[in-house]
Amino acid sequence: MEKYDVAIIGGGSAGLAALKQLSRLGKQAILFESGNKIGAKNISGGILYSKKPKKGKTYNVEDIYENFLQDAPFERKITKYILHATAKDKVFSIDLTAAHKYEANFGCSVLMNKLNQWFAQQAEEAAQKYGGGIVTGVHVRAIRWEDGHTIIQTDELEEVEVKAIIAADGVNSEIAYMTGARQKFSPSEIYQGVKVIVKLPDEIINQRFSIGPDEGSAHLFAGDVTLNHIGGGFLYTNRDTLSLGAVYHLDSLLETPNEPYELVNTLLKNPMISELVKDEVPVRCEIDRDAPKEEQMRIRFAVTKMIKTWAELRDSYYSKKEKERLVKEGKYGSPEEIGAQLSSLRDQMSTKYGIKFETDYVEVEYSAKTIPDGKRCRMEKPYFKNILFVGDAAGRGIFVGPRIEGINVGIDDAVRAANAVARALDKDNFTEKYLGEYYSRLIEDSPYTHDLKVIDKDYLEIFLGAVKEVPKEIISSKYGLVIKMMSSGTLRSFAVGVANILGYENLLPIIETVDTYVKIPTELAERLGKRMYASYAPTIPSIAQRIAKLKFNDDNISHIKVLTPTSEFMKKMITLCPTRCYFMEKEGVIIQHEGCIECGTCSEETDWKHPRGEKGINYQYG
Amino acid sequence: MTLKNQMDPINTAVIVKLEPDFSEGNVSYNPDGTLNRAETKNILGPHSAIAVSAAFYAKVKYGAKIAIGTMGPPMAESILQQAQLMSNADELYLYSDRIFAGADTLATAEVLKAGIQKMQKKIDIVFSGHRASDGETGQTGPQTAWKLGMTFLGHVIDYEINLESRTVRAKRLVRIQGVYDVVEEVESPLPVFIAIDPSYKPKFNTVSQRLDYEKYQKEAVKRAQDFKQYLKVFNAAQIEADPKFIGISGSPTIVYKVERIPKGKATRQAKVIDGSNKEQIREVVTRLLQALSTMAIK
Repeated sequence: MEKYDVAIIGGGSAGLAALKQLSRLGKQAILFESGNKIGAKNISGGILYSKKPKKGKTYNVEDIYENFLQDAPFERKITKYILHATAKDKVFSIDLTAAHKYEANFGCSVLMNKLNQWFAQQAEEAAQKYGGGIVTGVHVRAIRWEDGHTIIQTDELEEVEVKAIIAADGVNSEIAYMTGARQKFSPSEIYQGVKVIVKLPDEIINQRFSIGPDEGSAHLFAGDVTLNHIGGGFLYTNRDTLSLGAVYHLDSLLETPNEPYELVNTLLKNPMISELVKDEVPVRCEIDRDAPKEEQMRIRFAVTKMIKTWAELRDSYYSKKEKERLVKEGKYGSPEEIGAQLSSLRDQMSTKYGIKFETDYVEVEYSAKTIPDGKRCRMEKPYFKNILFVGDAAGRGIFVGPRIEGINVGIDDAVRAANAVARALDKDNFTEKYLGEYYSRLIEDSPYTHDLKVIDKDYLEIFLGAVKEVPKEIISSKYGLVIKMMSSGTLRSFAVGVANILGYENLLPIIETVDTYVKIPTELAERLGKRMYASYAPTIPSIAQRIAKLKFNDDNISHIKVLTPTSEFMKKMITLCPTRCYFMEKEGVIIQHEGCIECGTCSEETDWKHPRGEKGINYQYG
Repeated sequence: MTLKNQMDPINTAVIVKLEPDFSEGNVSYNPDGTLNRAETKNILGPHSAIAVSAAFYAKVKYGAKIAIGTMGPPMAESILQQAQLMSNADELYLYSDRIFAGADTLATAEVLKAGIQKMQKKIDIVFSGHRASDGETGQTGPQTAWKLGMTFLGHVIDYEINLESRTVRAKRLVRIQGVYDVVEEVESPLPVFIAIDPSYKPKFNTVSQRLDYEKYQKEAVKRAQDFKQYLKVFNAAQIEADPKFIGISGSPTIVYKVERIPKGKATRQAKVIDGSNKEQIREVVTRLLQALSTMAIK
């Protein structure tokens, strides 16, 4: 049997950071990823932060990848952070940029597919020096311990023996389920996030959002767009796409189920968002059905090709970098020439083939993920025998008011886990006491863990500063008192002190309610909001159209098995599954796994596994 | 770490062929139905590619060295580059000379034999494809083996090398046409000549093989970028090929004429029903039901 020092299970940003860090420390590690390539299964909202906490130190992305800021394909550095309260066509906006910048070096928008591939490149190069590396398309099926040996079984390869394991297999961690290291997260502990990627040319984004070429803006939405659920919407600017999504507490969704895509659609229909995502879209004209078949075919191909050429040229025209490249390569004399070519192409399209240009928006990818709420579900003991759990697998996501962080938490955990494993390798001691407990202590030291336990009064102050314009009487008496207390310096310290004694667990039922997420924002928008107008109604694709755009490598065996087909939970899954994999047949709920995008919403009452290696969803953006 | 690093390395050679790309959208025909060679792209033949993947398996699993050789015009260097990209080959050989023109399979085998004997290292295994997709004779491989005096194993679908005893254990797919297929397992001491079956697929099922696979693939991209560094071009004199046995004069056979196979007359009649309305769809269903009712199995 082959032997390696360390196995990392899962090639997301946490797993890759663990691989990079172990290689930095000169240790041999192999990483198993079940997707056919790195990034295939990764989804995030996504903003990646680099932090500088007042107390303690976080391991940031640029600490692990020294050339991150120069070379990494992240999208844009977020410079504006705004919360919008909505009520029908009225929007009231609060600038939260100060809160976003709090204790942060930077926060940048990211698309995980591209970024993780870059991380993988860096990590693999380093790992190969020590006889390690990345193995893709391999799904870990089981781990067993035999006379002090740790053996990993996979669906694809022969067994291997390792000394320690870092489990970075995400929120639906099979390693956690199979070892019993933790229970599956319950609906009260997770959020369901659904996201669409909207295509929009680079420089149009700069203009539309009034940002510089390398700047980005982030928008959060609360109020009536949430359809009375606890959570909210978000819209982040990427380089030449937008990430638009909805994140809601699963408990809240279970109470009054709404189709997840309806929640995204509601955002899209909001006049403010409609206007932000809009673009010019070519619409084909009907081909004359009486024309000869060959002629019809010829026209269809010509139109397709023309639209493609036009779209590509347009993307280049609205991208400074691409324009410069085209001119430099001598394909065009000047940027104006590209513009002229573009408009002549546009004219040809309408005169020759009757193509019309309408205002609409272009959606390119639909995705979903469940997100652990670390306040509620972080693992108290993030280890089992010689396995250490990191990031989402250990339930460590940050949801504090408008602050949502996950990727940077996972990276920080992974570095701590790698450090603990390296220390164990040096002493050849992999007992729970020497490895697991030490890792636990390292994690306890993490500023992120602190944030998951204690309310930070300075952060609160910034947050309250941002909403100080809001007339107090809007907020119902219950909250009015709280706000009043919090607004006064001395009382705030006292109140936060009391709150911290009570702990998040006891405060959450008061803070995270329909009132705070829906009623107050709606009232704010109604009374103070500006009326918004949309110049068009977006053509929103049906869920079938959205699934049809995704790339799957279908497995003939279902990776999910329904355990109790008649339970209330499973019946609700018919509505709550983001890709409608469940439906009712006679008495019970059955699954049709082919469209499954592996979010794990249904995991609580199903036998939930990831598909075998290379199978299942293959995201292009992430 | 493993045996493969301690023993003498296995040296393999692959003989490949430049062929027209017959895939859809790339192939062009003249009005008379013959192949338009000028318009059709040339690629590494699909069977050659399988032979290259078999050699790559030996590289990943046994740390073998790979040399790739082809006889062809100067532009055939592009397929050597393609083959290197697939296999991270260590050496590339192009045998190119005007004298080689008009060679049949036997004369080609003579050049390949001379070329393989001229390679830097003594070759333990030669791989060839099953046949070419343009000539379709399947003779060049066996003839080269015969000329080299090597044990010939055809239709190989899987093989393992024993580095200690320096033997090959191979599985051969033996087709007794229309009756049944059998898998024959044979063992032979090195050197051997392996003609790989089209159904061959290399399997990498240990972690170290997968890591090596990735490593070699990455290295191959770099190597193939400046493949000329690995390339040697030889003419007839340089490989010391006997002029009697090469080119048109060394070819006992000649393609005299190519005729099109006459098309059989179609017995079925097609009708287009485009499904644009209910009537049409109803008709499709009725016709399907009719067709089903005439079938034995329902």
